Amino acid sequence: MEYDENGVSIVPSEFKKEIFEEAGKDFRYQEYVRGCLNCGVCTGGCPPHRFFDFSPRIVLQNMKSKDPELIWTMMDEYIWACFQCFTCAMICPFLNSPGGIIAILREIAVRRGFESAKKVLKPYSRVLLKLTAYGNQLSPDMIQPDFFPDWGPTIGYASTDLAVKRKAIPMPTLQVTNLSWDVAPEAMKELYAIFDEAGVFKIIEAVDPSLYEIIQDIVDDVRSS
Amino acid sequence: MSENILVVGGGPAGLNAAVMLSELGVNVALVERDSFLGGNPKKFKYKFLFPDMQPADNVIGELIKKAEAGGGIKVYYSSEISDFKENGKKFDVTLKSADGSEKKTFDSVIVATGFEHFDPARDAKYSYQLFDDVIDIKDLERMMGENNFVRPSNGKPPKKIAFILCVGSRDRHVGNQYCSRVCCTVSVKQAIELREHFPDCEAYIFYMDIRTYGFFEDLYWQAMEEYDVQIVKGRIAEITSGPDNTVICKGEDTLLRGPFEIPFDMVVLASGMEGGPQSPEISSKLGIELDEHGFLKPENITLSPFKSNKPGIFLAGACTGPKAISDSITEGAAAAMNAYTYAVKNR
Repeated sequence: MEYDENGVSIVPSEFKKEIFEEAGKDFRYQEYVRGCLNCGVCTGGCPPHRFFDFSPRIVLQNMKSKDPELIWTMMDEYIWACFQCFTCAMICPFLNSPGGIIAILREIAVRRGFESAKKVLKPYSRVLLKLTAYGNQLSPDMIQPDFFPDWGPTIGYASTDLAVKRKAIPMPTLQVTNLSWDVAPEAMKELYAIFDEAGVFKIIEAVDPSLYEIIQDIVDDVRSS
Repeated sequence: MSENILVVGGGPAGLNAAVMLSELGVNVALVERDSFLGGNPKKFKYKFLFPDMQPADNVIGELIKKAEAGGGIKVYYSSEISDFKENGKKFDVTLKSADGSEKKTFDSVIVATGFEHFDPARDAKYSYQLFDDVIDIKDLERMMGENNFVRPSNGKPPKKIAFILCVGSRDRHVGNQYCSRVCCTVSVKQAIELREHFPDCEAYIFYMDIRTYGFFEDLYWQAMEEYDVQIVKGRIAEITSGPDNTVICKGEDTLLRGPFEIPFDMVVLASGMEGGPQSPEISSKLGIELDEHGFLKPENITLSPFKSNKPGIFLAGACTGPKAISDSITEGAAAAMNAYTYAVKNR
């Protein structure tokens, strides 16, 4: 992928137009994009705005401009700066949802397997694997310093002697470290049915083909059990 | 025999309608739910009126004096309409007060039931009633009217004060999509008064659009040029408590600075106008239409803003939508003229 001087990936204008039209056709678009006074209350209340060059007001204004060029400038990095906390949607006097627009654009990026989506979702492959294999999102053995840098200096201690620490929890646990709770095969099959319907497997295939292969094997095993 | 006309509401519009009708020789029954005349300006002790800063008492006090002077006006204090029936082209009305009921027939009716100030506590982001130093424009007006302008939290004069516009207006969350028309001008007027009396106190106004329409624009320019009021574009997202007994306004300066968190000694919320509970009440009692904003609906907003959808019932003042006192007084006169014409025609 090539980038221009502003760090925006270079794609044909026809493609940018296609992306904008895809967003505009989303069933949520009309609900999320309404009038705007540029009052800035969304950005004033936006947590990531404190840390990044990210403004929900700009997201909405770019969308309202209906300019495919402007909208494309957000696809590489901008849309991934949002925390998806939806404070903007909660606070907007027009009931706009800049966070919802971000969700629509992110889903396009994921469905189409854009580089930015691959990069951002890479750390989640462990979670996806755990989820499809065991129906658990997170288990004790996934708590490792490399994956939780934001847990601060005690993460090193938290990640050691997991089996012992688990036994110390004063409530019934499975007494293992690779599972948080037991999920019945029936529940797993239901989860796969939902993933099929919602297109989750297709998304995984687009974003991480090698992960998809591993997951397919697991799914086949569970389904034939 | 002279005509009998009922005026409901003793604020600026109702007072002026009653006074004009009495000058025409009409017997006016002026019904007021409060124990005093003057409406919201009196109730909340407005001090000076824009645009020329004349004392509110000169205007409202003058009208009250005329209404109470007797003549053709009978004032029913602390009263309300308990029964309302059409009788041909006339109206049979029962007026109820603590002293009892009185049934009368009127030739026409003027509704001037006014507005309510928006209660800023309904919008939690402003922390009204949570922090003592967050007040609204009507609170400030009363404080200045009582010559008691200090920080409610510690009784000391503030050094830095913020005005926040469009509180309870232009916001789908609180159900009011409309602009309340006067809050910009009231806030600018109050900022000027503050800077005049307390030159040490910095004043900020946070706005989306400044709607000091018509000649009110003069005040806006004056605030910037003569009184050095800081005018910042951006809606406040949150008010929190800060160090040293301050309140912090958090928002985005959409033109210049980007995100900000500024501590203030006091915050004044420019709360807007609402139809209040009295509008639907009078609407169902008299069988006149209510609009989608919670105000009474005129028959034709442009051609006859002072007529209800029902012949013989006329509207005046802020009961049909947010407006300035001068507009209410004008509408009082217009409604009086129309109510009189209707009464004479159907005598």
